[in-house]
Amino acid sequence: MIDLAATFEEHATEAAAMVWRVKRTPVALRDVVALATSKAQGIVLTEPEFLPMPLIDGLRGLAGVIPKPHDDELATADVGITEAFAAVASTGSICVSLGRPLVAASCLLMPLNIILLPKERIVERPRDLFNPDMFDGESLKRNLVFITGPSATADMGPLVVGVHGPHRVLILLLE
Amino acid sequence: MADIDTKSGPSITPAVAPPATPKVDTPREVANKSDKDRLLRAIRMSLDIESATVRSNTQHFNKSRYRAAANFPDYDALKDEARAIKDKSIAALPDLIQTLKNSIRSRNGHVFVANTAADACRYILDVCRWRAAKMVVKGKSMTSEEVHLNHALEADGIEVVESDLAEFILQLCGEQPSHILAPALHYSRERITALFKRKFDTELPLDTGEELTFFARQILREKFLHADVGVTGANLIAADTGTLMLVESEGNIRLSSFAPPVHIAIAGIEKIIPTREEMAPFLELLSMSATGQAMSVYTSFISPPLADPPFAMPSKPLKPREFHLVLIDNGRLKMRDDPVFHEALNCIRCGACLNSCANFQTVGGHAFGGETYSGGIGGSWEAGTSKLENARFSELCTGCTRCVQNCPVRIDIPWLNANLANRLNAIEPSSATKSLLGSMTDADPVDRKAPVSKQFFGNYHYFAKWGSRFPSMANSVDAGRAASTRTDSKDEGNNSFPRVMMEKWFNVDRRRTLPAFPKHTFVQQADNIEPPSSKGREIKVVIFADVFTNYGMTNRGIATMNVLRELGVDVVVSECVPEGRAAMSQGMIATAKQHARLATRELDPHISDGRDIVVVEPSSLSMFRRDFAHLLDSKNRFERFKSRAFEPVEYVWKILEKTGRKPAEVFDISKSKVGHRLFYHAHCQQKTIGAAEPTVRLLNEIGFDVVTSQVECCGMAGSFGYKKDFYDLSLAVGADLFGQVVQQDRDGGTRQLIASGTSCTEQLHAGFERKILHPMELLETLIERQKESDKVAKDTEDAEVEADLEALKRSKREASKS
Repeated sequence: MIDLAATFEEHATEAAAMVWRVKRTPVALRDVVALATSKAQGIVLTEPEFLPMPLIDGLRGLAGVIPKPHDDELATADVGITEAFAAVASTGSICVSLGRPLVAASCLLMPLNIILLPKERIVERPRDLFNPDMFDGESLKRNLVFITGPSATADMGPLVVGVHGPHRVLILLLE
Repeated sequence: MADIDTKSGPSITPAVAPPATPKVDTPREVANKSDKDRLLRAIRMSLDIESATVRSNTQHFNKSRYRAAANFPDYDALKDEARAIKDKSIAALPDLIQTLKNSIRSRNGHVFVANTAADACRYILDVCRWRAAKMVVKGKSMTSEEVHLNHALEADGIEVVESDLAEFILQLCGEQPSHILAPALHYSRERITALFKRKFDTELPLDTGEELTFFARQILREKFLHADVGVTGANLIAADTGTLMLVESEGNIRLSSFAPPVHIAIAGIEKIIPTREEMAPFLELLSMSATGQAMSVYTSFISPPLADPPFAMPSKPLKPREFHLVLIDNGRLKMRDDPVFHEALNCIRCGACLNSCANFQTVGGHAFGGETYSGGIGGSWEAGTSKLENARFSELCTGCTRCVQNCPVRIDIPWLNANLANRLNAIEPSSATKSLLGSMTDADPVDRKAPVSKQFFGNYHYFAKWGSRFPSMANSVDAGRAASTRTDSKDEGNNSFPRVMMEKWFNVDRRRTLPAFPKHTFVQQADNIEPPSSKGREIKVVIFADVFTNYGMTNRGIATMNVLRELGVDVVVSECVPEGRAAMSQGMIATAKQHARLATRELDPHISDGRDIVVVEPSSLSMFRRDFAHLLDSKNRFERFKSRAFEPVEYVWKILEKTGRKPAEVFDISKSKVGHRLFYHAHCQQKTIGAAEPTVRLLNEIGFDVVTSQVECCGMAGSFGYKKDFYDLSLAVGADLFGQVVQQDRDGGTRQLIASGTSCTEQLHAGFERKILHPMELLETLIERQKESDKVAKDTEDAEVEADLEALKRSKREASKS
């Protein structure tokens, strides 16, 4: 039986994302996010869909969190915190469901994107998310983006990480 | 130190004016290659300016893809699945368009099907005008390049901003894409720095990729936030839900579809597939085939218009979202009805065929490409969406077939290009010379409009037959040529009258040494060798006397015969007939069919006699294994020959396995006259049909230290490297192979060169003054010397018996005397 979390961690790291394993408690999560965002001026936090609200509530008091960001604040914020819809072990990809407020912006506009990934939402291969039986077929109904590492380009000669999207992707694997 | 007169200064005026610097073409000047001259100028321009960067980048993609594919568990199954979905989609295209229209409209989106490029531009312009758009940001879209959208919008005063960094570079320098996936792949970092400094008049250092990226990002972020319209392409579209699949690495496509209030997606109708579920196999296949990544950084599945409000800034008030899908026909439905070119509609634009092509690796898409599309698949697209003449660059496809196994949807691209050449031949004017040549060579009447040089190369068997009847005279054409000048850039070639005429009439470059005709052909030599008794020889083989072995490298044919006989095989040799390879390589398809029928008729009785076919020349074998599928009348006929045709070393393995012997038991490495260190170069087509690996394995198991070449093709590719038009390109491709040989020689001493293909051997001879062996020639030395030692042993035994008999007679004589 494949260890989905370990495989995911291996491949996400290969794709230049960072993966930190975190206990699923408000305190542990808050401490880790505080550490990762210690120098941030503006943090955009999105509402959870799958994780319990109390877990996220602990993050609202962190320094730099913008309560209700305007679009021009989104354009200048440092960190976006996004909840994952799913993840793919074989490729190290995160799958984010678009549509809820601020989600699209939080995983695109800021230099650092922190993604909260519940361990049980890791699937083995990308095609599993095209299976109507997986997650009640929700993955076939939603607008989704698969994110595999930070944005990158080879158009300027050598590979450069950090283009129009985030320069760093930190995945907090919630155990 | 001599004083210098500072008043008058040293004379700097030369006695004669310096030669004018030759004008260097810009890519845009040679984008349209509907005439041959532009194609040749484009090759020169690319070799001079772009080659090194293109080579480095394409080879990087290529290696990454091989690595990824090797580790992918069900790669072939995924390819089959993807191909089946594409076949089904193209068959149902009219219905899918209707379904898709309904899906988009049910979500309050708009759909427009544009019959032509002009229709598409007009619609998009109307949308922009209606929304009073001043600025449009664009994600990379080859379809928008195809319809010249930027030009149409800019002519109306709308600012168009290319947001993909490669397209951003091209917009600055006014060039067309050189690669369907990485459009500015020909630009090195240094050239980008120079371009940015010139265009933005900045003193910033911009000396690293990071600095350049940051600089461009700052400019483009502002544009995204203030744009009125975002234009993207689409990698696939699901008809059932209207879902767009958008693949990228930079994030600019996500921004283009998300930030502005109006999103216009522009895509060819061939991008539609029935359902969103069926996008699954493409998700992994596309990125792996393109760059060797498990997944691209971003793959979006969105059914616009999006629910999120578009981006609003203090200076840009919030507007409602709007989505338009512009589906482009522009020749695609006509392609769908074409018996050959409907294949091209399966293309998912991954670029694998470009990256795995040796010619493309060397010159890129500004030579091997048209206004929009490039590489092996590009010719079909240029012809389909513009006009046939625009596909003239597809002549750079040598038919090496390396793209075939790398195409994720299994398109037979060389076959498409052979057909393009065929149709280009058909629009050539007729002439008495061409007709006479066609009649002499018995080419099919429909191929007699092909240019004289193509008829020469396509009917090489005819000229080779005559050359081999008078070998001394034929070989005297190249007499006195100094071999050491072959790869010298100042070499003017052989200026003898016959060579000058050959160059003028047949486009045979004077600098390329011609293959020598043997005194006796392979068939003649084989006839003069007494075959061993066929008694007890259960395995029966016919060696197909291909044109290149029969009239050229006869030794490898004889070696094959000898080795197989030593292994106990009953071997006969066929008559020499063309099998169609030469004709097909010149686009003379009717003639190629005629030749394929000739070859199969020659071999039919042998197959009926229970013989397998051994084909020495890999490009001929590839005809039996692959191309006869197109050339023979039925699938059964193709299967009959495909299943019985083998490469010589493949067949050696078959015998060893059948008789339960190990290679080292049969071939004694201690008898090698060439040492143990080998450099083996497999033929490109041999690799594609899977017939190269047995040679490497056998040589290794015998005990040789084998290094294999790591190039897709040597660059010779049959007639290609002989042609004056392409000689320089051919040698530039070959430089990779030469470099690898030199490198391997440096690490531990000279290696014996081994090559399976005729043209590969010719190309290696252009680089090295060394004996190059066919694998069977090497094997023959191992087995033949063993035979000799056996003979010595037998002779000794016979002599001993003789001596015993003599002694016996002597003792009898002495006994009778006494």
